[in-house]
Amino acid sequence: MAVHSVVGRSVPRVDALEKVTGAAKYGADVHPPGMLYGKIVRSEFPHANILHIDTSQAEKLPGVRAIITQADVESGRKVFASDKVLYFGEPLAAVVAIDPDIAEEAVDLIKIEYEPLPVVQDVMEAITSAAPRLHSDEPKDALLRRTIRNTLKQLCQDDSEDRSEEKNQLEVQLEMLKEDVYYNISAETHTEVGDVDKGFAESDVVVEDTYTIPRVHQTYMEPHVSVASVDSTGKVTVWASSQGPFAIRSGIAGTLGIPLSQINVIPTIMGGGFGGRFGVTMTHVPAVLLSQKTGRPVRVQVTRKEEFLDGRPAPGCVIKMKTGATKTGDILACQALAFWDSGAVSGASIGSTIRVRGVYKIPNLKVDAYGVYTNKSGTTAYRAPGAPQAIFAGESQLDEIARLIGMDPVQFRLKNMREEGDTIPGGSREPVVGYKETLKAVADAAGWWNREKSPNQGWGVAVGDWTNGCGPGGVYLSIHEDGSARIFHGSMDITGTDTAMTQIVAEILTLPYERVTITRGDTDSAPYATGSGGSVVTFTMGNTAKLAAEDTRRRILELAAERLSVEIDALELKDGKVFVNGGDLPKSILLGELAAYSLNTRGGPIVGKGSFAQQSSTPALAAQIAKVEVDPDTGRVKVLKMVSSQDVGFAINPMAVEGQIEGGTVQGFAWAIMEEMQYDENGNVNPGFVDYRVPTSADLPTVESVIVEVPAPNGPFGAKGVGEPPITPTLATMSNAVVDAVGVRINDLPIKPEKIVAALHNKGS
Amino acid sequence: MKKHVVSLTINNDLYDLLIEPRKTLLAVLRDTIGLTGTKEGCSTGDCGACTVIIDGKSVTSCLMLAVSANGKAITTIEGLSSDGSLHPLQQAFMDKGGYQCGFCTPGFIMASKAFLDENPNASEAEVRHALGGNICRCTGYTKIIEAAMSAAEAMCGTREVR
Repeated sequence: MAVHSVVGRSVPRVDALEKVTGAAKYGADVHPPGMLYGKIVRSEFPHANILHIDTSQAEKLPGVRAIITQADVESGRKVFASDKVLYFGEPLAAVVAIDPDIAEEAVDLIKIEYEPLPVVQDVMEAITSAAPRLHSDEPKDALLRRTIRNTLKQLCQDDSEDRSEEKNQLEVQLEMLKEDVYYNISAETHTEVGDVDKGFAESDVVVEDTYTIPRVHQTYMEPHVSVASVDSTGKVTVWASSQGPFAIRSGIAGTLGIPLSQINVIPTIMGGGFGGRFGVTMTHVPAVLLSQKTGRPVRVQVTRKEEFLDGRPAPGCVIKMKTGATKTGDILACQALAFWDSGAVSGASIGSTIRVRGVYKIPNLKVDAYGVYTNKSGTTAYRAPGAPQAIFAGESQLDEIARLIGMDPVQFRLKNMREEGDTIPGGSREPVVGYKETLKAVADAAGWWNREKSPNQGWGVAVGDWTNGCGPGGVYLSIHEDGSARIFHGSMDITGTDTAMTQIVAEILTLPYERVTITRGDTDSAPYATGSGGSVVTFTMGNTAKLAAEDTRRRILELAAERLSVEIDALELKDGKVFVNGGDLPKSILLGELAAYSLNTRGGPIVGKGSFAQQSSTPALAAQIAKVEVDPDTGRVKVLKMVSSQDVGFAINPMAVEGQIEGGTVQGFAWAIMEEMQYDENGNVNPGFVDYRVPTSADLPTVESVIVEVPAPNGPFGAKGVGEPPITPTLATMSNAVVDAVGVRINDLPIKPEKIVAALHNKGS
Repeated sequence: MKKHVVSLTINNDLYDLLIEPRKTLLAVLRDTIGLTGTKEGCSTGDCGACTVIIDGKSVTSCLMLAVSANGKAITTIEGLSSDGSLHPLQQAFMDKGGYQCGFCTPGFIMASKAFLDENPNASEAEVRHALGGNICRCTGYTKIIEAAMSAAEAMCGTREVR
């Protein structure tokens, strides 16, 4: 492997100083002169008709500047509910005042008359005919059934030729529709490979179970916030803490019918996102509407409670799953039926259900997945959207099979894992992958092969896969007269991606890390950049920065050749200087000298450009081993050891990569053990950190991270996206460890102490 | 609403302010004074992002009314570095990668300072317990604890000049 001088090193991040001194400006730290404060009025019922909204008392409150409802949205696109609310906390109106406390007082003065409707919160109830329908009075197949019936009627009238076979087929189809009817379905997806019935028949062991995974909130630490300012020409400026300024720009444009060119989104530093910070409805659109109405800058900032009521968390789901294998450990078939709790709008990650297949050779696979409407807020992405849920089911089943056939769970996985060239069930063929290397690495590091345990202690292993996304991005790169380089771009950094880009540019231009700086522009000035989600940024913007650096290097060498009167081929860029190879006298020229020289040349200043859109990416595996101790009396699960390995292709900044592995693993741990958004017929009942527990430093030991590097052919220096994979296996890792400790498997997450105590009690009796 | 005169010494600067009694110390620090390094993460005292130090103790400033801080000396993240040099905790959080999005970082640094000033020889388990009132969603805490432990050593070395 090539020796690098800047990439591959754990340099401090470019934003380290501003973040440890409190200087970094986040969304709520923006305070333009004359700013007003907006507050959202929210539904007090999870399902109700709106009879009347009375704002008269609130309007009279001194300091209130405006109150808006859906009637004020000229585009007609839904921003506020007007006739009917579908979840507790759904926005109905917005108030703007000179002070945040006055705005809150005004919210309390708005009187809303409701006609409550029956509520459905449980997905398995929502799919039944008895459930109230949220969006339509007909089940999803009604239209199809009507069409088939009409065709059948026509066929019966048509005696001209024998069409009995066609009729029979339609009748069978109709019969199947009758059996399989589900209600409140928002979306569905189906995959079938081979013949699962045959696979199960040939299996020596078949395990079948139902897995329930709760809805959890991303709980980024910075609640949603936006500051908008609309000037007299209608030009909109939005200071947005978001994962994608360009997505926010198009979202506002689409919702409010404002041309893109009239919107400038100025990105602020962002306090975490994890997939949940792409939307515009929560604060950005209301802030723009309120600023349009008042002609003043307006900040709309939600509270933590509002985050829980109206955020877009990760969907919960129920997965019924069945896996069959031979007694010698070959997986033969895998079938899953999943119902994803989509909330009041479509959008749950149902397509990820296929990830129940894991990274294994499975000849027969059938996956059916449905998104289901319930009276909750909608859902969106959360770190590898849908994968932790599906992989929990898949990896729990494998653990159970290994147990039944008496095979070591690591060996069982290694035996079935796919390698380069193997067919992905329901997909294409595997490119170069490091599945086995990654699992072996975690097993070795955790001491799996000679593991020991005391009573009530157990070891669990699981793996999870994810492939980073890829998107468009642009970078400009300038060389200044002092020989330093500056990167200009428009992508958001949460995890150290600006640092990765800086390291890549420094590496290619042979500059010290400190001599390269990076600036993020707003959407008016910066070239387009894909949103920071899907583990996309280091792959995309890293490649883009690399292209810009290579372009810059070309211009540098061209200038040096001109300046030194030699052929380009004779030149070499090294240590921030251009050297002439060979010859009698060593000749060199500094980058700064070339930058100054360039100002008076025909070709002009040194500006490199990188522009990039699509390259195929490579799957990455995360593998984890946990050792836990379960107190059989209290049901408390204590993690004694947590080791997490991941194939990252190439770690451009190992310290930042470790941080991703550690953070993702802990989020997965929390989903397995403690986190759950709870609902009853009145709506969400735990909208705060007292009742919705997220882990603290007191809940965990040090997470040991193990970096595995199987280079990605198209990644910058071989890097793969690292943000999402580490959360994917942990739900199963924890569950499998609990089984090994006390012999009970809790398939209904989170694995709360009371569930363990009850299961142990049932097992004993 | 009737306003009250409140005197606050913030990072060694004295402020005499006219404040509504319903305003929290956090709101005054951020919106009135403009010291936005102290963050609002939950408004209920559960996440620790708004931690400041008052009389040597860490306080969640979202739970304290500004009027009840009258006459007190308050240190925020902006008051931590002196004479252009970083506090050992700030240096350690930088060097060890003890932050990602950075939103919880000021709170963690202030809570760590309050604890380590009084318990300079604390064990890792004690530090983990002491920081249990601060939530970080990005790091999984491993590198935060590494940073705090490494700073604790550096702080012991400079105790007499503290």
